Amino acid sequence: MFCLSEIEHTLRLPPHLLNLPLAEAIKGELEGLFLDKVIAKLGLCISLYDIRSIDGGFIFPGDGASTYTVRFRLLMFRPFLGEVISARLKESSSTGLRLSLGFFDDIYIPRALLPSPSHDEPDPEDKNQVRWIWEFNEQNYPIDGMDEIRFRVHSIQYPSLPLEQDDGSKPFAPMLITGSLDADGLGPIAWWV
Amino acid sequence: MKILQEYAGALTNFEVLDFLRSRGAGKDPTRLIAGIAPSEYKVYDYLEQTAASTQTRDIAIEFVQKCKEYNLAKAEILNILNIRPSCEAALYPIIEDWDIRFSVEEGKEEEELGLLKTICQVLPPPPSVMESGEGIGVEEEDNPDEQQKKAVE
Repeated sequence: MFCLSEIEHTLRLPPHLLNLPLAEAIKGELEGLFLDKVIAKLGLCISLYDIRSIDGGFIFPGDGASTYTVRFRLLMFRPFLGEVISARLKESSSTGLRLSLGFFDDIYIPRALLPSPSHDEPDPEDKNQVRWIWEFNEQNYPIDGMDEIRFRVHSIQYPSLPLEQDDGSKPFAPMLITGSLDADGLGPIAWWV
Repeated sequence: MKILQEYAGALTNFEVLDFLRSRGAGKDPTRLIAGIAPSEYKVYDYLEQTAASTQTRDIAIEFVQKCKEYNLAKAEILNILNIRPSCEAALYPIIEDWDIRFSVEEGKEEEELGLLKTICQVLPPPPSVMESGEGIGVEEEDNPDEQQKKAVE
């Protein structure tokens, strides 16, 4: 689920941080820049793992801040294709399911990748939501919000920033994971225990 | 910003949890004093609920050693460490070409059960073991080796 990526970045260190030890100041700046942000093709940045080298410290004319070239490793959340992950149900609609990991919410299971004979029925508790039921061997296995759900990563997309967005539509998701529940052992854990 | 190495190594859930713990994630009840961002706390909360929270470095090393005899790919070992499957069905989506490598014939049965046994012995169970209280938790296939598996456990 997690991997390391090595990045080199030219960082401008604002003068008000000059009283801090250098490594700490750079760490703070890098964290503010990268933490909890998605980098295309690398995934969601969870944490700064370590700083490998700090070079430079030049001050450009007309500027009060020093500029450093820093090499560091970031801890990224980027599952590989085919990885099995446990998540919780967030939303369930007629187009499919949406799962959440707590720190990452944009995991969608489209209708086509649900276990094969499945049908949906309106949820008795919530009018807008739909409950998915898997039929197998003449028994009905519902997907409800109680359990952890295991899914397999089908694909990861990094859609580019939209130019315009209507108000009220879903907030833009820079990283989308599509999952599949279509194999033995996937789906809510209670189905297989 | 320049990407020097897109992929500099994979980490298991346990290693990430260890990294967060070493920075003081578990020790601070206020969650303000330790230098850890709220987004990192969300990752910490997620990982604490998975099987990784009860593992230690020695357990992980021991498990990788024991897996050598089963010829598992690195991704499969990673998946097993993260998920800790406790039954055959849970292992099925993780191992590729299950039918070819662990077929249900008499000869290969031992290997598949052996792998399950190793998992259950070496890796500790996750913090709150999910109960199939609703009673719909029925094994999908009634393999002849299921009986044997129950006897083994």
